[in-house]
Amino acid sequence: MNFNKFLIFSITILWTFLPLGAGAVSFYLEPSEGQYQAGDTILVEIKIDTEGKCVNAVKADLSFSQILNAVDFSRGQSIITLWVQPPKINQEKGEISFSGGIPGGYCGRIPGDPGASNLLGKIIFKIPGMIVGEAEENSVEVKFLDTSQVLLNDGLGTVAELTTQEAIFKIVPQRTEPLKEGWSEEIKKDVFSPEPFQIKIQQEPTAFEGKYFITFLTTDKQTGLDYYEIKEGENNWERTRSPYLLKDQRLQSIIKVRAVDKAGNERIAEYIPGILKKTFPYWIILLILGGGGVVWRFIRKPRTSK
Amino acid sequence: MGLLSKKSLIFLFIIPILGGLVFSPLFLPLPKILADMTPTSVTVTISGPVCGDSIREGTEQCDGSDLGSQGCVSLGYTSGTLACYTAGMPNQCTFNTSGCVTRGSGGTGGTGGGRSGVYIPPVAVTKVIIQGKAYPSSLITVLQDGKAVTTVRADSLANFRVEIADITAGTYTFGLWGKDKEGRKSITSSFTVTVSKKGSTTISGILLPPTIELEKTSLQKGKILNILGQTGSQSEVSIFINSSAKEIIKRETKARTDGKWFYAFDTTILEEGSYTVQAKSLTSTFSQTLAFTIGEAGGKTGPKGADINKDGKVNLVDFSILLYNWNIPKNTMADLNYDGKVNLVDFSIMLYYWTG
Repeated sequence: MNFNKFLIFSITILWTFLPLGAGAVSFYLEPSEGQYQAGDTILVEIKIDTEGKCVNAVKADLSFSQILNAVDFSRGQSIITLWVQPPKINQEKGEISFSGGIPGGYCGRIPGDPGASNLLGKIIFKIPGMIVGEAEENSVEVKFLDTSQVLLNDGLGTVAELTTQEAIFKIVPQRTEPLKEGWSEEIKKDVFSPEPFQIKIQQEPTAFEGKYFITFLTTDKQTGLDYYEIKEGENNWERTRSPYLLKDQRLQSIIKVRAVDKAGNERIAEYIPGILKKTFPYWIILLILGGGGVVWRFIRKPRTSK
Repeated sequence: MGLLSKKSLIFLFIIPILGGLVFSPLFLPLPKILADMTPTSVTVTISGPVCGDSIREGTEQCDGSDLGSQGCVSLGYTSGTLACYTAGMPNQCTFNTSGCVTRGSGGTGGTGGGRSGVYIPPVAVTKVIIQGKAYPSSLITVLQDGKAVTTVRADSLANFRVEIADITAGTYTFGLWGKDKEGRKSITSSFTVTVSKKGSTTISGILLPPTIELEKTSLQKGKILNILGQTGSQSEVSIFINSSAKEIIKRETKARTDGKWFYAFDTTILEEGSYTVQAKSLTSTFSQTLAFTIGEAGGKTGPKGADINKDGKVNLVDFSILLYNWNIPKNTMADLNYDGKVNLVDFSIMLYYWTG
C-alpha cells in the first residue's frame, strides 16, 4: 500500500467511525427537486425519519418562496392523529405551520409495511399561470424553519435533535409538457366520507369553568379532513373544532357535528339529548286498554239490565 | 511532505482512528430515559386472496372444497354437484357449474328451466389482524388512531390475537396496552402501518412491555426497594435505574411461569436524590417510567402521569382540558411537567401516557 492509498484508507476509516451526530430525527420533503411549468400543481409531501427513535409530538414550521401559491394542505394519510394546531397557511408571509402528535408514539416504519407510513402532511402549491416580468427560469425553495420541533415518546417531553432538508424547484416559463394537476385528480378519486365518529358530552371542573362541552375526533384516509361544522338545535351550521363549549348548557338541543374532507365528502355525527329521545308510546297501549274496557262495559250493560 | 515525515503523518492518522474507535461509543446518544428503541420484532404481512389454499377469502367465490355453503340449488339450479375451478385454470376460484342440472318443469307449459336467485359474490373485506404476547390472562385494549376500539384477553401463555374487520384502507396507528392480573397497566405500544385495500394486514410479533410497580416511592438510603410487575412467562427482565447524573444502573431478573417478576433493589449504592426506573423484557420496548426518591429529596417527584381528570384514562377529554389550558394554565393540573406553561412538552407527556 503506497502512502496515498493509505491516506485515502485512513480518512475513510476515520470518517466512518467518528460520531457525526448520527441518529438525529429528520424532516424532509418529497419531491426535493424538479422542474415545473407555470400553471402546474406541486404536491410536496412532508415526511419524517425517526432514525430508530420513538417520537410522539411534532411542530413543523415551513417557509416558501412567494412565487408559489400554497392553495391547500392535505392531512390524508398523515401519521398525526391529534392536531394541536391544524395546518395554517400564511400566503403573505410565505409560511405554513402545524403541530400535532401520535398517541403512544411513532417509532418509524415497521418491516413489511407496504406503505412508507411516515407522512406528516402534504402541501399543494400552485404555480401561477403567468409569472409577471419573469422570462427566465426561477428557482423556488421550500424549507423548514428553526422553530420546528420533534419530541421523544419518553414521558418527559424531551426535545429530540432535528435535522431538516429543504426542496428546490425550477420553474420554467414556457410550457412544453402537459399540465401537472395531481391534486385535482386525487380529489376526483375521493368519493369516501371521513371515518365514523361520535360526539361525547363532557363536564370537567378543570375546563370551561365546569360547563358542558363536547369532544369529537375523526380522520379521513383519502384527501384528508378539511373542517368540522356544528349545529346546535335550530342554530345555523358554524365552523368548529374539538373541544367545543356548548351554547345550550341545559342539554336540550340536538347537536350535530359534520366532518368534511377536502373533496367535500361529509360524515355527520348526532347527539340527541335523553329528553328528546323517542320512546315507545306506552300511552297508546293504555288508551287501547281503556277504550277496550269502555266498549266491554257498553256491550255487557244491556245483558245485565235484562 | 516537507515539514512532516511519513511516520509522523501515519501517527497523525492512526491516533485519531484508534481514538475514534475507542471513544466513539461515548458520544453515542445515551439512553437517558431509554426511549430510543424500535420494536424490531414486529412485522407486517399483507395477504390478499390466495387461490389454491382451500380457504375462500376476498373476492374468491370458492377455493378447493370451500364452496362457502353454496350448492347448485342455492345458485338456482335444480340439482347436481357444484365444483370450483382450481388454481391455475381460467376462472380460477370461481364456481364450476358444469355438474349442476337445470330441469324443465316438464309437461305442459314448461318454463324452459329458468333459474331463480342471483349469486352475489362475497364482498372482499379489508381487515387487520394484530397478534403477539402480553402477560398471562391479561386484558389488552386496542386503540385505532388514538381511540379505544376493542379489548381482548390473552391466554394463559400470554398470547393474544385481535381482528379489526371492515376498515377503510389507509394509514393507521394501532396502539395496545395491557392490564395485568394485579390491575397494573402497561404503557401503550403503537405501530403505524398502511392498511391495504381488500386484503388482510397482519401485525405480528408484538411484545408488550412489562408492567411495573414500586412498593415505595420514597425511602431512606440503604433500604430495599421492591420492584415488581408482569411480563411473558419466564421472560428475562432488565431493570434500569436512572438518575439525573445520567448514571444508569442495570439489574436483571427472570419472570416466573405465571409472568410475575420481582427484584429487591438495595439502595445502599444510591446517593440521596430523585431516580426513575424502567424495565424491559428481551425485545419489548421499555415499560412505563416510575420515579422514587432516596432521603429527604422531596419536592418534584418526577412524572405525574397525564390523567388530568382522574378518571383512570388518558384520552380525548384530557386532551381537551390540555388545549383549554394551553399556554398559561388556568388549572395547574394541566401543567404536567410543573414548568408553569402548558405547551408541546405537556402534550408529548400526555401522548406517552395515552390509553384511549
